Amino acid sequence: MLGFVTSSMGAAMLTAVALGVTCAILSVFVVLRRWAFIGEGISHSGFGGAGVAWMLAVLAPGIFGAEQTPWMVSTCVVLFCLGTAALIGYFSLHGEMNFDAVVGIFLVASLAFGFTAQHVYMHMEGRQPWGFDSVFLGDLLRITPAYSLAALGICAAVVLTVVALWKEIVNYCFDPLGAHVGGMRAGVVHFVLMLLVAVTIIIGMYVAGALLVTALIVLPGATALLLGRQMRGVMTLAIITGLIGTVGGTLIHEWLRFIPAGPAIALVLFVEFVVAYVAARVLRLTA
Amino acid sequence: MRVSAVRLPPDATYLHVGYHVPLRMTPLVDIQDVDFAYREQPVLRGIRLQVPEQTTLGIIGPNGGGKTTLVRLLLGLLKPTRGRILIDGMPPEKAVARGNIVGYLPQNSPVVEKFPLTVRQVIRLGLVGKTGVFRSHSREDLAFVDGLIERLGLAEMASKPVGALSGGQLQRVFIAKALAPRPKLLILDEPTTAIDRSAQQRVIEMIQQLKAELSLTIILVSHDLRAVTAIADRIACLNVTLHYHDIPEHMPADLAYQMFACDLEAMGLGMARHQQAAGSGQQAAGGRG
Repeated sequence: MLGFVTSSMGAAMLTAVALGVTCAILSVFVVLRRWAFIGEGISHSGFGGAGVAWMLAVLAPGIFGAEQTPWMVSTCVVLFCLGTAALIGYFSLHGEMNFDAVVGIFLVASLAFGFTAQHVYMHMEGRQPWGFDSVFLGDLLRITPAYSLAALGICAAVVLTVVALWKEIVNYCFDPLGAHVGGMRAGVVHFVLMLLVAVTIIIGMYVAGALLVTALIVLPGATALLLGRQMRGVMTLAIITGLIGTVGGTLIHEWLRFIPAGPAIALVLFVEFVVAYVAARVLRLTA
Repeated sequence: MRVSAVRLPPDATYLHVGYHVPLRMTPLVDIQDVDFAYREQPVLRGIRLQVPEQTTLGIIGPNGGGKTTLVRLLLGLLKPTRGRILIDGMPPEKAVARGNIVGYLPQNSPVVEKFPLTVRQVIRLGLVGKTGVFRSHSREDLAFVDGLIERLGLAEMASKPVGALSGGQLQRVFIAKALAPRPKLLILDEPTTAIDRSAQQRVIEMIQQLKAELSLTIILVSHDLRAVTAIADRIACLNVTLHYHDIPEHMPADLAYQMFACDLEAMGLGMARHQQAAGSGQQAAGGRG
């Protein structure tokens, strides 16, 4: 057993399971709160973070180059994602702008900066910047046992936080204004939920990449809400859907190495959504 | 009006002088000289309002007259530019944060069609603020919620998904949710809009019944004069400023309705004061040109 966990396949599978469960639980709330676009905003802002690392490498290659600071891309991605989540959370609560507009602004600014930095690096160094492919599409092969255990720990913390704040999160998702007027600290719950989504997206980016991690945070919930009528059933269906997606996509990637894990996971989740949609329509017609 | 000397029992809370006057006139809601403006545009001016405990105040007025702003001030969502508001002796933000002082039925209910909660679960959400984090709802509160479900005729649908309910049924659910923490003050913002006539009548009757049973203090903001005159002890007409009318106890609701319909017309056919001012300004400019 220990051999499996410490192997490359074991590490990937452990991460896929942890991510599948955690993303599924959060995705129900993400879909109910209509936060699907937030997932895009936060994950794509990671590309802006990578851009910062590449620009630093261009400006001071002796200090911030790929050989000197190989961890710089990952660190900047994490900081950018968390920072973007905090700013989206703040402006959506206190700003005068529409929520979609806030997310859209951060998304395009991050992408634009990331692509600009990528082309500047290519122009100056004559090669693709390090981490470019893994930021976009994920890199399951680079997941080490240490990373998978850390991911398992973080996912467990996210799930425990959701369980501990269950009634507050449900109350906020159902009616944020009613929750506030009812005496709940709705603003705090808003930020906590945003942070949980951001942390999960960051972990998911190493598996599915910035482009497709949103599939993990949207599709399981969307699929489960097609068929489930009560919260317990919806959560169960979402977790099953999420696990089939992440584990199935990981197995496809292990079998066909030329297919990255991110697209494989996203496609499995999409197929599940289509099946659930058809099943829901058939059930409605025959009811 | 002549009042004879009477010996009152020690636990008397009301004096009947043609209508009930609470003996202890402790205002649950006390608004003193409140102004509010959105970016230099005055919306409320010199508002003085006291709502004694266990009374019902109806607030009517034209669109743009400041009713929604007043509600938001009472809920602590806005701060007055001048003056002060106290609810049960504390600022609105503190009263709301307690979770069991203010109950609120919004004008626009949240969209619930796809939300996977039962009626009972939705009503219990009203307890979350009162119960607090990392705690379960008390048995007493849960029993009270079950009692509310029975009283409001929701028992048969308590286990159904909330998205399956009609508009009138949903309104009862949200009223129950607002009452779940047993608030002292219930603020109802247009409780009879967006539901059909028969459902409106049931909601009005239900509020009258609950008002008495739960010793509620109610502020009812509405365009529906029938609802206001049926439920309210006093009516305030709000159009940037506020003026009051008491409704004598035996005044027929139809007569009260006619009286206040005239009052709305007297305020300018339902136009808010700042709209009237804008209109007369434009007329004057046209005359000069």
